[in-house]
Amino acid sequence: MEEFLTLLLAGISVGAVYGLIAIGLNLTFWTTKTMNFGQGSVMMLCAMLTATLIARGWPQALSILAALGIIVVLMVFTETYTVRPALKIEGSMGWAVSTLGVGIVLQGCAALWFGSQALAFPDIIFSAIDDVVVFGVHVSLQYIAVLVLALALVVVFELLVRGTVWGRAMRAVSMDSDLASVIGIPTRTIVLGSYIGSGILAGVSGILVAQIGGTVDPAFGFELVIFGFVAAVLGGMGSTTGALVGGIVAGVLQQMVGGYISSAAQHGMAFALLILILVVRPQGFFGQREIVKV
Amino acid sequence: MIAIRTFLTRLLTHPATILGAIAILFFGSAYLSGGTVAILGFLMLNILLAQSMNLLTGIAGQISLGHAGFYGMGAYASGILMKTVGLPFIVSVPAAAVIGALTGYLVSFPAGRVREFYLGMMTLAFGLIFREVVREWDGLTGGAVGLSGVPSTTLRNLSLFGVTLDGLDYFRVVLIVTAVVMWLVHNFIQSRYGRAFYAIHASEVAAGCLGIPRAGTKQMAYTIAAGMAGLAGGLYAHMIGYLGPESFDLARSIEVLVTTVVGGLGSMAGQILSAIVFTFLPEKLQVFAQYQFIVYGLILAFTLILLPRGLAGLFLLPPRFIKPASLRHVATDGVAIRTAGTVADAALKVEGVTMRFGGLVAVDNVSLELHPGRITALIGPNGSGKSTLVNVVSGIYQPTSGNVRFYGEEITGLEDHRIAGLGLMRTFQDPRLVPRFTVRENLLLGAHRRYRSSALAATLALPSAAKEEAAFLATVDAVTKMAGIADVADQPLESLPYGYRRLVEVGRALLAEPRAILLDEPAAGLSEAEMVLLARMIRAMKDAGLMVLLIEHHMDFVAELVDDVVVLDSGRVIYHGDIGGMRQSPAVIAAYLGTADHA
Repeated sequence: MEEFLTLLLAGISVGAVYGLIAIGLNLTFWTTKTMNFGQGSVMMLCAMLTATLIARGWPQALSILAALGIIVVLMVFTETYTVRPALKIEGSMGWAVSTLGVGIVLQGCAALWFGSQALAFPDIIFSAIDDVVVFGVHVSLQYIAVLVLALALVVVFELLVRGTVWGRAMRAVSMDSDLASVIGIPTRTIVLGSYIGSGILAGVSGILVAQIGGTVDPAFGFELVIFGFVAAVLGGMGSTTGALVGGIVAGVLQQMVGGYISSAAQHGMAFALLILILVVRPQGFFGQREIVKV
Repeated sequence: MIAIRTFLTRLLTHPATILGAIAILFFGSAYLSGGTVAILGFLMLNILLAQSMNLLTGIAGQISLGHAGFYGMGAYASGILMKTVGLPFIVSVPAAAVIGALTGYLVSFPAGRVREFYLGMMTLAFGLIFREVVREWDGLTGGAVGLSGVPSTTLRNLSLFGVTLDGLDYFRVVLIVTAVVMWLVHNFIQSRYGRAFYAIHASEVAAGCLGIPRAGTKQMAYTIAAGMAGLAGGLYAHMIGYLGPESFDLARSIEVLVTTVVGGLGSMAGQILSAIVFTFLPEKLQVFAQYQFIVYGLILAFTLILLPRGLAGLFLLPPRFIKPASLRHVATDGVAIRTAGTVADAALKVEGVTMRFGGLVAVDNVSLELHPGRITALIGPNGSGKSTLVNVVSGIYQPTSGNVRFYGEEITGLEDHRIAGLGLMRTFQDPRLVPRFTVRENLLLGAHRRYRSSALAATLALPSAAKEEAAFLATVDAVTKMAGIADVADQPLESLPYGYRRLVEVGRALLAEPRAILLDEPAAGLSEAEMVLLARMIRAMKDAGLMVLLIEHHMDFVAELVDDVVVLDSGRVIYHGDIGGMRQSPAVIAAYLGTADHA
């Protein structure tokens, strides 16, 4: 029982982070129907920069902000020089190739600068051994902190999207970007903003996952994005609630399979889940079928 | 520059050059060191992988970010089948191709249901997971330690038909297999299948309306490409006798993608050039090994934007999609344009069709009928629902209610390619052709649904397939003459003015030998002279007994041609009758000019 509850909480906590990654993917999907195939490297870089700066004696908060700042610059570059020009080539998936390219460059640079060995990720709020006892079960405080933080971010994100002018403008762009520009919405800025927001969400998720795992290495990330993608597809591409639910389902299943069957089967599970949902319900739990405009 | 490209293309693609190169490699390899022969062997595998990726990405426009997974699938399949199961080489390698193909088929299963980038993500996931599974499933694959002792030339325990192969023999086997596969792929690309792949790449909607199934075509592309990668993997397994999971990681997938992108998407010759560069260059530049990944990343990030046609674009002419041999056998005598014969109950009946988008009613309870040999005009102000109705009839939209019958058969909500398959063709308000195809290739695309020869016949370039192709090419000639575009038949469409594109699109629909045709504003943007040609084509359709629906704003043009008129306003039919009556109809006048009451 204790093992089950531990796995369940770990699954929910990691799953909430998958949900965050999925929301990051959704954000660019809304505005441009694209997604950053190099998102994993953004997560990796943000976690690595944070770890490195803290190791150099920078205050934790400042390190995180600085790392996120670098991510913002990077996303501006990615959107401007790789996504936008590639989108102009009609009928092409060039953007998938070019964003993956940027991700590969980042991974290569990280290996060059930080070495390909894993860096230890410092304990930011709680250490891995801090725990509380709930209903007689030891529960890691780190998991709880990650869960609370991820949920808080989802709520803030929803408030921003629903409550602000920029959020409404973004939804207008997602409905019809041509119409949005005609009525005076700065579509360009919104698209750029969606990439920046997506990068920040990825960066924060990277830090959270690194915190749980305790280490980060240059290859960290690609697999996480797959889980984020599974979460997004499961919940329904474009749906925030769906992303969170999908993330938690994927996270819990992953922990259960890892705990009770084998850690090897975790990866296969994610892929099987992806195939299954696309066969049974391609629009996911909360998504709507897309109408192709002609 | 064009002259140089023409020269290089003729030189490099001439059969004598190709056969010469194969002969030189086959016999010349005897004089090379064992190490050089081994590298040449790897070059062949890289060429196979690049051709596989090119067929998938360059031709069909789909993406694979996990090609190393398919490659590894083949390698482990052949390795395990030979070492553990004890099957002979002649069985295990083809089995590797089949297992690779099966994997590609399964991974691309959702092709018809989701946006194409899902498949990019799925192949990426497949590639990563393949490596993990290989590492963990050590009972079967040897795990992280790898699978050693696979029968190979280095171990001297690989034999083919009872002959033990050494490194040189094995290279020759790989060379022949590569050459044969390339010949087959080349035939495939220059057949209706290759053209269908490229049509899906250019516009899925247009391809669907020509009778090309989207999902099936994409899945076919993944299956064939993964089968080729599996074959390359099978050949790889016996080249070195050891398989480790790190040979099939993301970096390997990236390498294949880089080779293809640099070679030039769509060009088979470009892939060979690129494979040569990426096989030999890293060997020579060992010092830069740590930068290799970064360089590959930069290539992926910027090549498609800066040099979209790669090396092939610099040195070679664009690839063509019709076999030159078929072009030489086209009958020169006039060929009549035919349509499928008429039978009883010959009509297209739209009955009470309503189409809502959320709260907007775009088409409101519309009924109309088309009959053979009659031209019906569908007119109405902008936004009155004309194009939406055509989209419903041609299967692009599912109507909210109502139904459509064609020859007595219910076709409501059928997939677009099935409707096209029944002989109901359409054109688009904005012409949707393949910009890189020549006029002739674009027109031939229209005949897609009428081809009967199999993919196998096309791939093996059997005489029956060539004969069929030549017959359709003769019809293409007849259509180009009628449309007045015979002199530009071999020009790429993207180089021609707008008016030509319209005429080509109408001509393409004719090539399908349709029973009904829906023309969505075919005269928009045409010059007077072009309009005369268009009117001639539309009359030919009527004479041939087609049902024609003509959406048009150009009233003089309409008045000359039509038998019946249907007028839509705000999604509703407000007039149905002849054109004279329409001019008198108060409802129509009100819709176009407003009513006097407002004054």
